[in-house]
Amino acid sequence: MTLSAALLIVAQIAAVGTPPTGDTIQVPQMRSQPVVTATTKRSPVAFDADRFDSLTANALRGLFDDAVELGLPVRPLVNRALEGAARRVPSERIVRVVREHAAALHHAKRALGDLSREDELEAAAIALRAGLDERAVEAMRTSRGRESVVVPLVVLTDLVRRGVPMANAQEAVARLARAPRSDDILLGLQATVAKNAQRGPGMALDALNRYVQATGVPPAVAAPISPDRKPVRPPEP
Amino acid sequence: MAADDLTFPRPDDLDDVHATFIASQLRASYDATPAHDATHVARVSRAVLAAAMHAPSGDLAATPRSRGVRPRWWWGAAAAALFMTVLTRPWRPDVAQRHADSALTSSASDSMGPTNEPIVSGRTSEEEGGTVRFEFTLPATARAVSLVGDFNGWDAGVTPMVRDRSGRTWSARIPLEPGRHEYAFVVDGQRWVVDPLAPQVPDAGFGPTNAVVVDIEGTP
Repeated sequence: MTLSAALLIVAQIAAVGTPPTGDTIQVPQMRSQPVVTATTKRSPVAFDADRFDSLTANALRGLFDDAVELGLPVRPLVNRALEGAARRVPSERIVRVVREHAAALHHAKRALGDLSREDELEAAAIALRAGLDERAVEAMRTSRGRESVVVPLVVLTDLVRRGVPMANAQEAVARLARAPRSDDILLGLQATVAKNAQRGPGMALDALNRYVQATGVPPAVAAPISPDRKPVRPPEP
Repeated sequence: MAADDLTFPRPDDLDDVHATFIASQLRASYDATPAHDATHVARVSRAVLAAAMHAPSGDLAATPRSRGVRPRWWWGAAAAALFMTVLTRPWRPDVAQRHADSALTSSASDSMGPTNEPIVSGRTSEEEGGTVRFEFTLPATARAVSLVGDFNGWDAGVTPMVRDRSGRTWSARIPLEPGRHEYAFVVDGQRWVVDPLAPQVPDAGFGPTNAVVVDIEGTP
């Protein structure tokens, strides 16, 4: 552990002031409730502090408390920390990844809205970390309406990761997301693109275009001409 | 046995007066041969080029019609364009799909085996009672495979997978809440492997994982 990382962790411990405990603790879901989220929809996950050294565990607790104050779900952060411990990743990296993930969750919440569910925020955070921008996430929310955006975001992230250009993937997912039973259609799109992407460059995009055409979902209606255009005055008789 | 004790004579030991005479005569004849003059070289070059190239356009007017039309360089391009336009038409959707499918079956990549099957493959399926069945197939026989994910704290000792009769496919059935879950497979307690065809969660610091969405559509 480098000196700077150690100092950072010590500073976080001092700021939070949480006494170190070696036992398994239950992460508080909402210490304060500034905004309504759906973090309580999923069962809480236990933060096994024994998997970390005391400094790291306390630093992580500080990050979790900060997330609670911001109204962010803690469960994804705990999962990220436990995953790092299971992979035997160095402590500094675990703290850094959890901090980055908390920031991504914050951006995801800004893009999706305060009433978004935990799964939606997590999927959006993963999408943002994969390279999508907030406008793409917002567009997905717009195209989906009040329905969950989890599957569209999961599929969109997967498509981009497999080499489909961002604009094509976003247009295709937004187009299919408006169809009824769209979750099944979107998961079929993911499976088709995943199979074809292994066969060479360009095959993923080709499969995406063929799949979207085969679904028969019409493209989005073009926006009407802007009404702020000056009307053409008819010629004088 | 040393090389000097060989009973066969070496080539240097041969003393063939006839061969020496013939060689000297040949050398003398080569020396006496006059060099080709420039006109001869030019004539041969023109003949070779005329055989390799098409006739210039100007020759057509001078050539009697009875001798026929000589081929032009652009005839091949025109024939290829006609062939593409009339017969192949690769821009047609059905033809493009056929080409793509043939490419699918013919080419191979890193994750494909010699029998055109994925080297590593997995499958998830929802079952009655809110359980999800995970299947994972490996090319070689592994000693143990575990399922890790956000549902078991990423603990490789919690959800060991069961091997089938073939010894290659491992499966586990676990209850999962509706929603999005991340998972991965741990082979022999060390190697983290993901299903290449399942939705992937990109590497955000630790390594890639898979994602599965369980019955999210009915969630309020």
